Amino acid sequence: MISSRLPRPNAPLPGFARFRGARRGVSGKLIVGLLAVLSLAAVVHILVVLTIPQNATHSAYSNAARFGPDRAFNLLPDVVPGAEPLPGLDPAMKHALCRYQLDDGPVLFNASIPVPFWSMGLFNTRGDTVYSLNNRTAGSETLSMLVLTTEQLSILRENPPENLDELIVIETEDTEGFALLRAYVPHPSEAKKVGKALQAASCGLLK
Amino acid sequence: MTAPLKQFGEADWYETDLPPILRPQRPRPLRALAIVALVLFSGSLIGISSAYFIIERERPLMAVRIGPWETYPYAGTAEADPYSVAIYTRGAKIPLASGEGVDLVARTDSAGDTLLPMCRYRIHGQTPTARLWTLTATNGSGRLVETMPGRSNLTSRQLLREPDGEFEVIASTTPQPGNWLPLAASPFSAEGLRFNLRLYDAPVSTGSALKGVAMPVIDRIDCL
Repeated sequence: MISSRLPRPNAPLPGFARFRGARRGVSGKLIVGLLAVLSLAAVVHILVVLTIPQNATHSAYSNAARFGPDRAFNLLPDVVPGAEPLPGLDPAMKHALCRYQLDDGPVLFNASIPVPFWSMGLFNTRGDTVYSLNNRTAGSETLSMLVLTTEQLSILRENPPENLDELIVIETEDTEGFALLRAYVPHPSEAKKVGKALQAASCGLLK
Repeated sequence: MTAPLKQFGEADWYETDLPPILRPQRPRPLRALAIVALVLFSGSLIGISSAYFIIERERPLMAVRIGPWETYPYAGTAEADPYSVAIYTRGAKIPLASGEGVDLVARTDSAGDTLLPMCRYRIHGQTPTARLWTLTATNGSGRLVETMPGRSNLTSRQLLREPDGEFEVIASTTPQPGNWLPLAASPFSAEGLRFNLRLYDAPVSTGSALKGVAMPVIDRIDCL
């Protein structure tokens, strides 16, 4: 009994040693726990950011169906406070939107809009830009553009329509998408005329 | 029997040479479960909330900054980073494509202070060459707000300019002489302020070409 109370030479007291060991153990466990929390947080963060596009219930493509039938340019309501048809549109412009599925056949765009500036963008279901142009880069006052898949293009080449060289031909792998046509309204008095020209724009099948 | 002989024989048998983490411990299932649950809960909470805050800020990465103006040339293209993709799909936003124009956003004035709807701002200088540009005032989340005259934008074609081609716009709630960009009619209920400059058919549509071009300066005049 007596010998067990003798301290070990060159060693801290047993009680102190136990205390130090316990303290190191607690802080080590805390660091391990924090590392676990942080790495889990990083994994969850990355997963959340990457899965948002798949889980978004209202993509621009699905919103586009609200404005009217597919394969026709539907005039969007004016961009006014509290009733913006789509987020981030310019109130100085009038917009028309056409949703299409290339499985039904190639899409032929035809438009003639008498304004100083108009532009059109083609977007896929993810909202990425496929192609875009404006009335200067279109090369002429009227727009005539053909959007098709690679297979449809090879079929078309065998029996080309006579005006194929006048068309802007866009080959794409995205079979679903939409086109947004923006036209600048120089003065409110011309808004009706611009709206009519936008509605007259066609987004139909190639004949 | 490879354990080294203890100096004091069996007297210190209760002390081991094992480091604390390897020492046998009494199993504590409830405590272990509680720790695992805490780690899972706080890890998911931090991960989800940090993702939410980054997405809600609506500031895609890879921005090009020119003074107070910011543009995201890669947002809405196939080269966009995952944050921009998440921001754009979640907001169902349709980007201004590069063949159409450039969309620049200012959230601060040129001194770096956050834009406030109850202040008056002087936006002056010149813009990069563009066939047409529009300047729009929105709230902090990019939505239009009610203004006194009913419009909240100015276009380059209606603008009064100085002889050297420079312009000066006063952004204010109340009418101003010259070029007036109306701000929210009830500034204290509007949530934040953003200026949106859209350059249509601009030669500087690529991000690298935007570096170093002259952009309008935004100065705060006074506040209500």
